[in-house]
Amino acid sequence: MWQFLSLGLLAELTVNGILFGAMYGVAAVGLSLIFGTMRIIFIAQGTIIILGAYLVYWLFTLGGIDPYLSLLLVVPAAFIAGAGVYQALFRKAAAISDKNTSLLIAVGLMFLVQNTMSYAWTPNPKSIVTGYTALGVEILNMRLSFTRLMSMVIAFAATGAVVVFLRRTLVGKAVRAASENMQAAMLMGIDPHRVNAIAFAIGFALAGAAGVALATTYPFDPYFGFVFALKALIALALGGIGNVVGALVGGLALGLIESYSAFFISGGWADAISYGVFLLVLMFRPEGLFVRSIKKA
Amino acid sequence: MNPLLEIRNLAVAYGDVQALWDVSLNVEEGTIVSVLGANGAGKSTLMRTISGLMRPRSGEILFEGKVFSGKRPQQITAAGICHVPEGRGLFSQLTVQENLELGAYLPSVRGYFAQSLERVFELFPKLKERRHQQANSLSGGEQQMVAIGRAIMARPKLLILDEPSLGLSPIIVRQMFELIEALNRQGVTILIVEQNIRQALKIATRAYVLHTGRVAMEGRAEDLLANPEIQKAYMGTLD
Ligand SMILES: Nc1ncnc2c1ncn2[C@@H]1O[C@H](COP(=O)(O)OP(=O)(O)O)[C@@H](O)[C@H]1O
Ligand SMILES: [Mg+2]
Repeated sequence: MWQFLSLGLLAELTVNGILFGAMYGVAAVGLSLIFGTMRIIFIAQGTIIILGAYLVYWLFTLGGIDPYLSLLLVVPAAFIAGAGVYQALFRKAAAISDKNTSLLIAVGLMFLVQNTMSYAWTPNPKSIVTGYTALGVEILNMRLSFTRLMSMVIAFAATGAVVVFLRRTLVGKAVRAASENMQAAMLMGIDPHRVNAIAFAIGFALAGAAGVALATTYPFDPYFGFVFALKALIALALGGIGNVVGALVGGLALGLIESYSAFFISGGWADAISYGVFLLVLMFRPEGLFVRSIKKA
Repeated sequence: MNPLLEIRNLAVAYGDVQALWDVSLNVEEGTIVSVLGANGAGKSTLMRTISGLMRPRSGEILFEGKVFSGKRPQQITAAGICHVPEGRGLFSQLTVQENLELGAYLPSVRGYFAQSLERVFELFPKLKERRHQQANSLSGGEQQMVAIGRAIMARPKLLILDEPSLGLSPIIVRQMFELIEALNRQGVTILIVEQNIRQALKIATRAYVLHTGRVAMEGRAEDLLANPEIQKAYMGTLD
């Protein structure tokens, strides 16, 4: 195999890893936000992304709405749905200190959405083919698919927007404060339900954006969401839990690991290697690869 | 006139473990009230119940004559009670200025933000220099300044301080007590929990001693300071 390895191929593997990794990253950013205030791994995140993808598919096939145009519809709708899901499903459970209830609700939600999608759209993989699906962009002798590039742009833009929100707005600062110390945040007058609902709303909005990114680049089926959430969890572990930029970087790293291991070892090993890396990181660097070690007081 | 804060027959429990029994306490407007007692006596539990982080099992808390027991922390903060918890409760990943901004989170005080910030920076010029630093990069004394500064941002009527001198050097502790007295002269009523009993009694108007979840003693601070029982139990042989 080594004789086939050229600089161009290496570059292509890298670029593809980054493109797919960006999507893991967005999913991980959502997980990170929800984990921050709620202290649960929102395992349904991947399935919500798939739901977003179906929504885009549906708008495209039934309404003829361009997938990128549907961002304007899907993202705000997902934002509102996220806040609604928190208020309807998690509000009560969030108030108790035992987090298992919240986690179980997330699991239940995942299965419910999964099976509903499977019923509504059949378990067969779907993909969106538009006029520009086959388009390519020539950069440095590499042919990059237009839709994958767009997916990466969406991923970076979405993460950037979240970072600006968290750093520049008072509510964003409140979310960060609550993620660090909920009780102290409550003493500032911050309503825990409000920051939880915002974390969910943004998590869902990110899932909507990721849904568009996914639907335009890869075939998807209802059950892919769970694997997606696991991958996002690995990205989160790589980047350090509770660190938004780290989550994106973790996603990119995972994308690269998968892309390289699929080529150099074999496609079948890529997943096993991802999960192996996950365990190794948690064993030896539980604070994440990209975080300076934090001493806990 | 009614006291600013009135606590009547309060009982509080962690699950099956009761931490406070039949605690009654008054804080008159404009005074400094100290709450003393050994570790585990229930001092922090009492403060946490006042600020709404815990719900009482029975009893009542009145602030400005209105019942506040059972209300949520944001309602209590909005009414003008600001609680600096034990260990300060700083947002260590946020900058000094962001911590101060969150002190003025509630809409009722946000309008005074610039004015309050100026007041805090006047009191603590160090914080102005360090306002863009992450809070956990500051020294213990500076972190305590941030905690008190953040409380000032909330423009409280009643400021609750839970062991503010914990872990600070004697010089810083002395400055901090002076600051507390200065705030009090500016009209802030203060309820303070301290291990530093002598200093806490010196600045206080009244004091309460908690013992295993009950009020064991109460009275004018100067009387308690002179009380041989207190001297023996809490001040030991220290000067
Ligand atoms: N989170 C908790 N869960 C259960 N018991 C607690 C908790 N916090 C405090 N206690 C118990 O409540 C009692 C009072 O504690 P605390 O109010 O912290 O005392 P103090 O502040 O006077 O040292 C102690 O017996 C302590 O063990
Ligand atoms: Mg205590």
